[in-house]
Amino acid sequence: MTAAATTVGAGSAGLRRQQLFGFVYLALAAIIAVAFGAATEPGATSSFELNAPRVAVQLPPLVVPSAPTAYALAGLCAFLGAVQLTRGFGARNAVVLGAVVLLFIAGFLVWAASTRSMNLVGVLQGTLQRATPITFAALAGVLCERAGVVNIAIEGMLLTGAFVAAVAASATGSPWIGIIAAVVVGALLAALLAVLSIRYRVDQIIAGTVINIFAIGMTSFLSARVLQRRPELNNPDRLGPIQIPLLSDIPVVGPIVFNNNVFVYAMFVLVVLIHVALFKTRWGLRVRAVGEHPKAADTVGIDVLRTRYQNVILGGMLAGVGGAFLVLGSTGRFDREMTAGRGFIGLAAMIFGGWAPVGSFFASLVFGFADSLQARLSILNVPIPSELLLMVPYVVTILVVAGLVGRARAPAADGRPYEKE
Amino acid sequence: MGTTRALAALVAATALIVGACQGGAGRPGGGSPAAGGAGAGSPAANSPAGGGPAGGSPAGGGAAAGTPLPGAADFKACEVSDTGGIDDKGFNQNAYAGLEGAKAEFGIGEIKFLESTSEADYNRNIQTFINEKCDLIVTVGFLLGDATEAAAKANPKQKFAIVDFAYDPVIPNVAGIVFAIDEATMLGGYLAAGMSKTGKVATFGGIDIPPVRTFMEGFAAGVNYYNKQKGKNVQLLGWDPKKKSGSFTGDFQDTAKGRQVTEGFIQEGADVVMAVAGPVGLGAAAAVQDAEGVMFIGVDVDQAISAPEYRDVMLSSILKRIDNGVKGAIRSALEGRFKGGVQVNTLKNEGVGLAPYHEFENDVPQELDAEIDALRQAIASGQVKPADWYEGAPGQ
Repeated sequence: MTAAATTVGAGSAGLRRQQLFGFVYLALAAIIAVAFGAATEPGATSSFELNAPRVAVQLPPLVVPSAPTAYALAGLCAFLGAVQLTRGFGARNAVVLGAVVLLFIAGFLVWAASTRSMNLVGVLQGTLQRATPITFAALAGVLCERAGVVNIAIEGMLLTGAFVAAVAASATGSPWIGIIAAVVVGALLAALLAVLSIRYRVDQIIAGTVINIFAIGMTSFLSARVLQRRPELNNPDRLGPIQIPLLSDIPVVGPIVFNNNVFVYAMFVLVVLIHVALFKTRWGLRVRAVGEHPKAADTVGIDVLRTRYQNVILGGMLAGVGGAFLVLGSTGRFDREMTAGRGFIGLAAMIFGGWAPVGSFFASLVFGFADSLQARLSILNVPIPSELLLMVPYVVTILVVAGLVGRARAPAADGRPYEKE
Repeated sequence: MGTTRALAALVAATALIVGACQGGAGRPGGGSPAAGGAGAGSPAANSPAGGGPAGGSPAGGGAAAGTPLPGAADFKACEVSDTGGIDDKGFNQNAYAGLEGAKAEFGIGEIKFLESTSEADYNRNIQTFINEKCDLIVTVGFLLGDATEAAAKANPKQKFAIVDFAYDPVIPNVAGIVFAIDEATMLGGYLAAGMSKTGKVATFGGIDIPPVRTFMEGFAAGVNYYNKQKGKNVQLLGWDPKKKSGSFTGDFQDTAKGRQVTEGFIQEGADVVMAVAGPVGLGAAAAVQDAEGVMFIGVDVDQAISAPEYRDVMLSSILKRIDNGVKGAIRSALEGRFKGGVQVNTLKNEGVGLAPYHEFENDVPQELDAEIDALRQAIASGQVKPADWYEGAPGQ
């Protein structure tokens, strides 16, 4: 049910949906005005720092008067709501929805930074870091589901990848070997899922759940039995950030995009690569055919099962890299259940992103932003209980999966085993 | 279909078995031949000759190494850890070091531990040890308070010692090992404020519970004291002394969150960070190491020794001699002096303290070191009370 279809159809359901959005926009405008605008102290200013620590080009901070800015944002939001109510935006509905969300976030930030200073570059840096494992998980999901296999074992693959990366990198002293080991183990777990779901046609959700439980049990067991006795096996070198010369000196963008570790750069490349491969190459066309209508694909001579095996295993390898990031690109240490649901959030990002790599990447950024902002607000002592803030990413997950899921369409044969007649 | 089911069932069964195993992972303790007492090889080792601030034990750990106490061979001491894990290079590990020290020093027969992987494990683990007839069960951490209370009341003959919890009224078979940690963190806060070049220091906690807050409040007290003495305005991120609220990652497990929060602090300009979060603090140390010119203050044990990979950023550590406290409780149980109540560890009895500066020995100005020493004496003698400085200079 796309935005265009809503208005073209112009039935009573479409009208109601249009009005509903209008009322929601107006309500959000009211929240911006009352909760964010009126709640600030009179005359207070919000200051946004635009420099990362130790950068060459220093920018002055962006200082705005809190209350007037919030009222202006609320006004803009109310205007959009009013137009939506009276005549709608037609095909531009999605853009307007995005704009309203941005206005709301801006209003929230103005309130949160009122009488304080918030480092905006820092929030965005954190966003990218936090989006990285989610993106890898989402890419793994895209590869599997585009070929028609639901992979909810990504969480387990991330976790196992993280464990193996920690041990292999510690034992050999090379983080690169850690990454390779994580990729291999991710592929092995994926192969198990593939055999169960493709060859034996086990319900894919159940097979995935079993692999997740197995991964949690196995890594926790080994970490209790092995890593605690031999802590030197859980002490890998980390892959630190690499500054790209010149590009990293660009104000604002430089420190966010061009001062990251190798995982983040690899993510950029993979997102583009897989997107192009899926939608612009013969291989991608075949994969999608297998995911949409395996029988048709089979009739024209595509080996359905082989394509599925291939994609599931490729996905497992990506999940392994995501797991390796959690250890080698982040904390430098494996901890029990350290993935904390990132594999599942990756699947949510995949759905939000319409089963497309680039879309999934931007969806992951949304989750990363929520997470990053939450951490920042607690640092700045914004008067919101920390427990509530810690919930934000999960609430966002629910909103995204429940509210916007209707916009995206899953591959038709997703989750259905294929049986040759 | 038959094969399918069988295969799925096999994998599922393996998963469940493995899962069950790790839940009850009890490793028979140590067996390390270290005859040198709690010192050698133990993560809590402080160079005893270096005049380190934490030397002795508050509750009589002074037995000569290797001379077993009478009846010790039959004694069984058991630890139930909190969720951070026995390898957290801090809190839980340090308590276990106390057991290992008691084994080495007093010659007690058997030490064991059970790790709690979630709060649901507390009761089960305690019950396991009651069934195993442990002579003393040590429960590590404030969060085990309710479970320990219930078990102690149900089993009035079983002796318990609990870290970080004081029962009111006293339960006769539970000894509470508590710490005036704010005395030590006040020194840490003063040190941090004195070493900061950006004028911003930071702290965060794991779970929002009183023992963690006391760390943070003491740290704030140190910063406030420094500002008052020096007429400076060093800012503290992560703890608001007036509102008594601050940054908490929400658990003692997710190291990635520790890293995230710390990256945030560094981006906001902080250059000294103290993490009160068990292993989550190791994620924070990783973030500190990846930044330039930022220092880290460890907690519970001398983390420059327990986590040597972060030695280059470890300015100092806040010592909480849980090992000594646990050892003291074991000793009193051994000698038949065990009684319920509270045993308070302070700067004065060296149950808490500030670790040596290690790599930063030459970076800490002598003047600052002397001031910290003076403050240490003032706190130990009661002239300066950390609680007076929680919110700022007293009387303002």
